[in-house]
Amino acid sequence: MLYRTAGQFKTSYEADHALFPVKQDAWLLGFILVLAFVVFPMTANEFAFKALLTPVLIYALAALGLNILTGYAGQLSLGTGAFMGVGAYACYKLLTIFPELNILIAIGLSGFFSAAVGVAFGLPSLRIKGFYLAIATLAAQFFLVWLFEKWAWLYNYNASGAIQVPTIEMFGVAVAGPNARAIVQYYFVLCVVALVTCFAINITRGRIGRIWKSVRDMDIAAELVGINLMKAKLSAFAVSSYIVGISGALFVFLWRGAAEPNLFDIPLSFRVLFIAIIGGLGSILGNYLGAILIVALPVIIGTLPATFGIPISSSMAEHLNTMIIGGLIIMFLIVEPHGLARFWEIIREKLIMWPFPH
Amino acid sequence: MKRLLKTTLLCAALAAGTVLAAPAIAQDSVSLPNLSYRTGPFASTGIPLMNGQRDYMMMLNERDGGVNGVTLGYEECETGYNTEKGVECYEKTKATGIVTQPWSTGITLQVLPKSNVDKIPILAPGYGFSAMQDGKTFQWAFNPPASYWDGANMVLQAISGGDLASLSGKKIALLHLDHPYGKEPIPLFEQAAEKHGFTLLPIPVGLKEMQNQSAQWLQIRRERPDFVLMWGWGAMNAGAITEAVKTKYPMNQFVGIWWSGHDGDMKVSGEAAKGYRAISWSLPNSQAPAMQDIKKHIVDTGKSMIDQAGGEFDWVFYQRGVLISAMLAEGVKVAQEHFDTKVVNAEQLRWGLENLKFDEARIAELGLEGMIPPFSTSCADHTGHSGAWMIEWDGTKFNKVSELLTADRAAIDPLVETAAKDYAAANAPWPVSEECKM
Repeated sequence: MLYRTAGQFKTSYEADHALFPVKQDAWLLGFILVLAFVVFPMTANEFAFKALLTPVLIYALAALGLNILTGYAGQLSLGTGAFMGVGAYACYKLLTIFPELNILIAIGLSGFFSAAVGVAFGLPSLRIKGFYLAIATLAAQFFLVWLFEKWAWLYNYNASGAIQVPTIEMFGVAVAGPNARAIVQYYFVLCVVALVTCFAINITRGRIGRIWKSVRDMDIAAELVGINLMKAKLSAFAVSSYIVGISGALFVFLWRGAAEPNLFDIPLSFRVLFIAIIGGLGSILGNYLGAILIVALPVIIGTLPATFGIPISSSMAEHLNTMIIGGLIIMFLIVEPHGLARFWEIIREKLIMWPFPH
Repeated sequence: MKRLLKTTLLCAALAAGTVLAAPAIAQDSVSLPNLSYRTGPFASTGIPLMNGQRDYMMMLNERDGGVNGVTLGYEECETGYNTEKGVECYEKTKATGIVTQPWSTGITLQVLPKSNVDKIPILAPGYGFSAMQDGKTFQWAFNPPASYWDGANMVLQAISGGDLASLSGKKIALLHLDHPYGKEPIPLFEQAAEKHGFTLLPIPVGLKEMQNQSAQWLQIRRERPDFVLMWGWGAMNAGAITEAVKTKYPMNQFVGIWWSGHDGDMKVSGEAAKGYRAISWSLPNSQAPAMQDIKKHIVDTGKSMIDQAGGEFDWVFYQRGVLISAMLAEGVKVAQEHFDTKVVNAEQLRWGLENLKFDEARIAELGLEGMIPPFSTSCADHTGHSGAWMIEWDGTKFNKVSELLTADRAAIDPLVETAAKDYAAANAPWPVSEECKM
């Protein structure tokens, strides 16, 4: 009923291939944007900003980067955490060498560093595929984290070996560091994420996206129809690592405020990979759904005992939390192995036909 | 039918939720959150400490009804030693909590800059940054009664027999966790190595290698250092002790920091680890009146979570947890008396922690005789520098084997000053209090 498409006629090919062939999709997106830009900031408290909204956006962005590589171009990667680290350390170095640099520009530039590193570690993808490539990117993961620990120049010879974010202002408003307000940081992250998502939607729907998909589905066939595999794979690594890099910079500068090298270790890579897989490989929406499930849901479940006054210890709550989230992941994967995005697709199709399924 | 069942279950769950959510009895209380870790790779060391902290607070509530009639609301927020959870817990507890106990150098790093903005004191007894000693720069952070640099200096004194010059020409390995915590003492050791002419050999142990340190101990065997000092935590301690036993490294040349002197870790090697020493600012004294009160009010009544069969009550770490809570409760009490109020807020507690007086008389009054050396904090000195003892493992437990050692201030204070200045500069604009007199 809500999704009735009756009366929406397509009279041209352009209309048929539009971003929102069904009007309701556009309304839904508009509703979500209003929610994100207006309703949440008006209602959320600092805890919600810091523990729910901002991290979900940042993790979704990282998963989006990985999804371009794995979901669209079909190249497995286990080095996401390290590429996030490259972005974060690049941003740190840029901002300490040029303190007057605008943070937005620094974050944008830091993506290029991780893109370069990503391309370098993507070179083996020209020869190897699948799990073998995953192992090659795993090497990047170990090497880069080792580098973050050993190369003291990266963290300005700080005795603790960690990087810390000083107060950084943009147009007179503190956006990063201890003095920044959570709502400012949220808006900053939201704008960057919205911008990158817009870019990602366009690139994956266009010529380059089709090239990637053809490489993913069958690279030999793609080569036979004249696609340059090297260009295709390396461009996927570059774009993916760029997005992952800026998510890493946001991760440290707009959310954490400090980072030690082992933060970017393999658990972070796995976390982002889980978000991408559970959300749905080869979709943009899935990254957000996955991030909500993996990042936000544990936090929400964690607050339940206190809100309902259930007297269990916090460690017990933590154990239960892990079990519930694990169970949910398995459940979702059984119900829909192609991820939450596909799950939503099915729901949407059913809604369009409802109440008269054929 | 199925739906009916579901609805009934849901209703039952909701009803249970509301019943349990009955409002707490309105009584004066202060909220003292603790970012605990009873899960994760460091749980084995975390649990006895958390138990000690919890039991002391509960004992005060049971025995005296809190502090001056104000109930101490000890609340744990589980982090699993994960910095991400740490941020979450900090945000969750800062609205009501009047203190932050971060329990991890990584989490301390994240909350330290925020302490100036949120105005909540950080209590990090025996851990965190050594430079937190400088109360002018770190107005909201406290690490009583001794810092890592104090510990490093005292360890050097202990192994040199009091005269650091005798270390000249020796080779000292520093086996440390490759983490902000493990790197903390390196600047002090480097300075001492230069001054006293010994060779320092830092051997990092990555978080992934904690349980398998064969590469590190191969290096130790090859280099044959005169002493191995350890800055280890969690699974790393037991791993190192096992490897040391395996490579037959002489235990009397193996010394750890206070977080590496944990009964649970030593039990794995037992007799074989006899002679291993650690520096410690706390001593277990199960006969102390406060400990007996905990036994009477909490342990014997079954309210404690400790492993009684395993002898956790006598462990160094359990009783150190008790001492940490004692410092916090004392901070609350000092603040209450100074501000003549019952329920202190974060700002008043900061004053309280800044004016802790743990002298012999007060320690005896609290019933903690022989457990902690006397110390006192001040506006400029947030550490207090109690000094520490050497404790030695005899195969079943740790025993005190030295007189009270005190750190050489002349070797540490200049370093603290530079480190604090560097920190303030790197995090500019950073407020520095000029009111304190050094």
